[in-house]
Amino acid sequence: MPEFENFNVKTTIDCKQGAVRAVRYNVDGTYCLSCGSDKKIKLWNPASGLLLKTYGGHADEVTDAAGSCDSSYIVSASLDKSIIYWDVSTGAPVRRLRSHAGGVRCVCFNEDSSIAISGGRDNAVMCWDIRTRRLDPVQVMKEARDCITTVATNENRIYAASLDGCVRTYDIRVGELTCDKIGEPITYLAQTRDEQCLVAGCQDSVVRLLDCETGGLLSEYRGHRGDDYHIECGILSNDAQIVTGSSDGDAFVYDLLDGKVLQRIRISDNGGVVHSLATHPKRQEMLFARRRDMYVFSTDLQIEEEQL
Amino acid sequence: MDEEEHLHRFGTPLPALQKDVVPAKKPVAIEDQIVKDENGKRRFHGAFTGGFSAGFWNTVGSLEGWTPQTFKSSRGERASSKAQLKPEDFMDQEDLGEFGIAPQGIRTRDEFANEDEQKQRSDQRRRKLMQPELGVGAIPGLPVLEQLLRPVRDKVAVRILKSMGWKPGQGVGPRQTRKEKRQATARNSKEQYLMEHYGAEGLPSNKENKGEEDSNNEDEDDEDITFAPDDYEPIFYTPKENRFGMSYSGLNRDPILSKSSSSSAKPMQHINLFGEMEAQANKKQLSIRGQAFGVGAFEEEDEDIYARDDMTRYDFSLADKKPKQKKQQHVQQRHVIDGFSEDNSPAVLQRPYAIDLPRDFQPRNWLQRRSRFAPMDKERAQKLETASEYKRSGLGRHDLNPDQRAQILGEQQQEEKTAEEQPKRNPFKDHSKSLMERINARTEGFTKGGVITENGEEQQTELAKEVKEANAAIQERAALKTKDLPSAMNSSSAFKPFIADEAKQLRYEKFVSSKLTDDKEITEFLARMQPVTLSLWDREMEKKEFIQAAKIYRPLVGLMNDRFVSEANVQAEKVEQQEKPPEERKIVMERTKTMWKPTALLCKRYNIAEPFGGAMLEPEKELKAKAKISVFDYLETSVNTKANFETPSIFPKHIEKSIPEKVETPPSPPPAPQPEAEIQDKPNTKEEPSKHTFVPKTPLEQAVDESRNKPISEKVDLFKSIFEDSDEEETELSEQDKLAILQESFGLPVTSTTSAAAQNVLRNTSPPRGIFASLFSPKIKDAAKEPAPTKFGPIEGSKLKIAYKPRKERLRNDRELAMAEVAPEDIYGPKLPTAPPQKPAAPEIQAEANIDDRLQQLWQQHAPKKRKAEKWVEKKCISGSEDSDASSSNESSSSDSSDDNDKRSKLSKPKKSHKGSSSKKSKKSKLKSKKKSKKSEESKHKAKKKKKKSKH
Repeated sequence: MPEFENFNVKTTIDCKQGAVRAVRYNVDGTYCLSCGSDKKIKLWNPASGLLLKTYGGHADEVTDAAGSCDSSYIVSASLDKSIIYWDVSTGAPVRRLRSHAGGVRCVCFNEDSSIAISGGRDNAVMCWDIRTRRLDPVQVMKEARDCITTVATNENRIYAASLDGCVRTYDIRVGELTCDKIGEPITYLAQTRDEQCLVAGCQDSVVRLLDCETGGLLSEYRGHRGDDYHIECGILSNDAQIVTGSSDGDAFVYDLLDGKVLQRIRISDNGGVVHSLATHPKRQEMLFARRRDMYVFSTDLQIEEEQL
Repeated sequence: MDEEEHLHRFGTPLPALQKDVVPAKKPVAIEDQIVKDENGKRRFHGAFTGGFSAGFWNTVGSLEGWTPQTFKSSRGERASSKAQLKPEDFMDQEDLGEFGIAPQGIRTRDEFANEDEQKQRSDQRRRKLMQPELGVGAIPGLPVLEQLLRPVRDKVAVRILKSMGWKPGQGVGPRQTRKEKRQATARNSKEQYLMEHYGAEGLPSNKENKGEEDSNNEDEDDEDITFAPDDYEPIFYTPKENRFGMSYSGLNRDPILSKSSSSSAKPMQHINLFGEMEAQANKKQLSIRGQAFGVGAFEEEDEDIYARDDMTRYDFSLADKKPKQKKQQHVQQRHVIDGFSEDNSPAVLQRPYAIDLPRDFQPRNWLQRRSRFAPMDKERAQKLETASEYKRSGLGRHDLNPDQRAQILGEQQQEEKTAEEQPKRNPFKDHSKSLMERINARTEGFTKGGVITENGEEQQTELAKEVKEANAAIQERAALKTKDLPSAMNSSSAFKPFIADEAKQLRYEKFVSSKLTDDKEITEFLARMQPVTLSLWDREMEKKEFIQAAKIYRPLVGLMNDRFVSEANVQAEKVEQQEKPPEERKIVMERTKTMWKPTALLCKRYNIAEPFGGAMLEPEKELKAKAKISVFDYLETSVNTKANFETPSIFPKHIEKSIPEKVETPPSPPPAPQPEAEIQDKPNTKEEPSKHTFVPKTPLEQAVDESRNKPISEKVDLFKSIFEDSDEEETELSEQDKLAILQESFGLPVTSTTSAAAQNVLRNTSPPRGIFASLFSPKIKDAAKEPAPTKFGPIEGSKLKIAYKPRKERLRNDRELAMAEVAPEDIYGPKLPTAPPQKPAAPEIQAEANIDDRLQQLWQQHAPKKRKAEKWVEKKCISGSEDSDASSSNESSSSDSSDDNDKRSKLSKPKKSHKGSSSKKSKKSKLKSKKKSKKSEESKHKAKKKKKKSKH
């Protein structure tokens, strides 16, 4: 097992779009998206901190965004209850999907980006057909009893984490809904790369590792502070470390196996909640969102030196 | 030459005409004269002289021509609200000018304007409101509420007067005592009298003091009761400017009906009936409102032809001054506000009056009125606060020590001894009480009214105000005294809350410096200092006050300490909180698995085969059925559904359970063979009857139940029983009943099992009429051929399954039955009619039938032979082979619409024409058909009524 290398700040970007609500990598991690409270999405080059494009058209804060597998489209969720499907290059909204009865909290694409899945404050998970011009959802799952905080998917499953403390797994292949009840409101959910486990960030300042197959609780990670914030967590590309934000302006890197804090990344001395983060799909790199800024952290020292 | 000298020449002579030259200068014709504005633009346009220049030379374009407006996207500036464009923005400069449509000038504000002006303006406003685009409310037109309610708004002058204590009906002036007032009234009445008899320049009134004497002895003690002076019309003594005789005014130079005659202070001359109208007319003239038609710019205004002759119309001198004057006047009037006129009287040097304002006078703009709900301004809030504090504590009187009281009462500085000996009493209260009593005793209808103070608020009583004022005065004095005192008695206490009362303040300072906290100690400490005169209650109050004051008026350091917390403390607290281990909650993972059906498209997009080959049971079928997802779907999200309040097993079916469930799904075999699809469609309807078994079923319901599972073809009977025209059976039934009743009354045994034939005998033998004729006759004829399958044919007695009786009838029958049981001797009161007399009814029907028959006979007699072939007219006669099918089907529906009948008649028309019938015939046939349709309509109504009844 390779030794853990500390993360260092690579780039700091002032997004200039109000509070940054979410930061996301695109499919291969070359670009990143930031969702602002000023109703705009911005596309960045995380390495250089270059602003590539701004996508404006939402009527309320943008809460989440995801890039398609070919990086030519973006889907974004907003509190204006709509989901917008953007053309990356033109920056124009291709489609606006409205069916949610409440603000949309999260959105994701399936593997071939033919389906967008969204979850909202109306407790509903909706699957949208992107290929056709259908404007109503393909399927609506209304099993959750509280706000959906995260939706995730893989080849044959859709995961939905909700504030009612349940992770719901919709297995399309089997035609089965598995509800794993943790009991604590789940603020974020991430999948491991091997798709065996789920990382669930809970409201009680604990990140929990769940086994997909059995539904068992594998591990708990404590140390950070969640308070009442919507703190996101993630798993690094090597599936060996778990990252989570914290309300005290830090980010924590835990060892997946023994649950120890490997690094407490001091993002800013000025406080501010590190609520959103994204892990690079391939490299040991992370994005953090704190207040109005986006931070890129990496273990790669060389780049840092170059930057310096 | 001599003559020339004697001639007097006036003016400059015209140049002598040259012989050859014709005068070239023609006067410019009126039509060629053009009025131009200051820009050289033509002012009036159009066919008539009065017109407006609108836009660019009366076009929509500009000098460059007209360009259509280009589309401008408002997308970028969606949020920014567009500035509301006013009509003025579209007006030309000249429209805003003096002669334009919307002249702008100085006007008096509404608050100051006189009444009719206000009214005029409000009218204008209303007119504006009436315009549809401006009427914003839901109800178009004049807002009703505004019509009903009119804000009460006094003039400013009245308001000022009111604030000074004036009330409507009162006069203005200093308050008078009773005596004074009486004198004043006497004087006024006298003046009034003189005024009436001698006019304004009447004799000066002599002072008569007769009345005073008797009043003097009445009461002298009520000097302190004052009254408002009476209101009276003041007499203005106008200085005499002319040398006419007394009260002679000479010929009035103004036109008789003009306004000035009425407004001038000459009372006895002329009553102007048209004053107001004239005034309005004048106003109209003054303000040119831009009427398009009227007097042209070059024309002289017409003389007032209706004005009566008066002296103004005569010239008193040769010089023609009038036009000049007029012009001048006009020019002057331009600068005068509407409704005003310039004062022509020579300016009199007026001595400027120096007003010495009260010391505490604060200028305030009365027009800046605040909303009632707006927060009070600080000053006033404070004022109120202090005032109410005073009242709340109820200590007004206790605040005064004997010295102060003495001051208030105007007593001379007395020795302390005597002051202390005096019993404690509130001088104000007693005094006021007696005063009030006295006033009440004296005057009738004296009501306690509020006085509007400077702030516009009504003080409860004058007394309170007085007390307050007095207090303020005392406090002021005290403050003055304390100012001189050596400052810094106690340097630590910068605040002196009890500065009004020196002794108290001293005590307070001592109390503060002692820094006592214990309640008992404080009482003891204070007791040592407090004067003996202070009552126990006062002492207690003082203690409380001190403690409170000490709390409030703390040194700044303490105040700050309270508000702010050092960061270190906060951090420590936070750490503490953090350190506290959060209660360990044992997380027990629960896993539940339920069936879930992904939609086909979702599977397709995920490139996965549908589970179970898509044969899964769909739990959300109804959701899919809805074309669109509406917001209301979410009203019953999973949280609200009933299922959620139950055990989770109910919530989508478990896989383990679902298999046996499936086996169970086919319910107990239905009463009748049924396709499977129907089972799923009507699971609820099947369950319902089992639930409501205890409800007794009506035969109709039974029939419905029975026939539920039958194919439609077999349900004919049911439909019949529901929809059929129950006329026939009812009549039958009623007759049957009547018969039974008759039999009963005659003591005969009731024959319930009468054969159809027997019943037929009893039936009304008269031939069927009207629509029934058309219904029955073919049936009877064809009865042998086609027996039953008619849907709505009349039901024969034996066939009758469901008999409907109107409730009334049933009741009656019951009653009659009950009556029949009781012996007639036991019943009193008028006997109820057992049954409607049948006999008188029969001849009537018979007669009708006869008439019909006779008509028919007549019809057949008079009709030409050919017409006999036209059997389509009367349904009764239809037995034709071609029409039989159609007719039978038509007749089978008893409640056939009149439209159908008409159609039929129309359809049959060509046939008739084919046979070469005249137009006359067709007319007749039409009439007939109309008649028929009418009848059928009637029957339809009847049927409807019946249906309604049956539903009940």
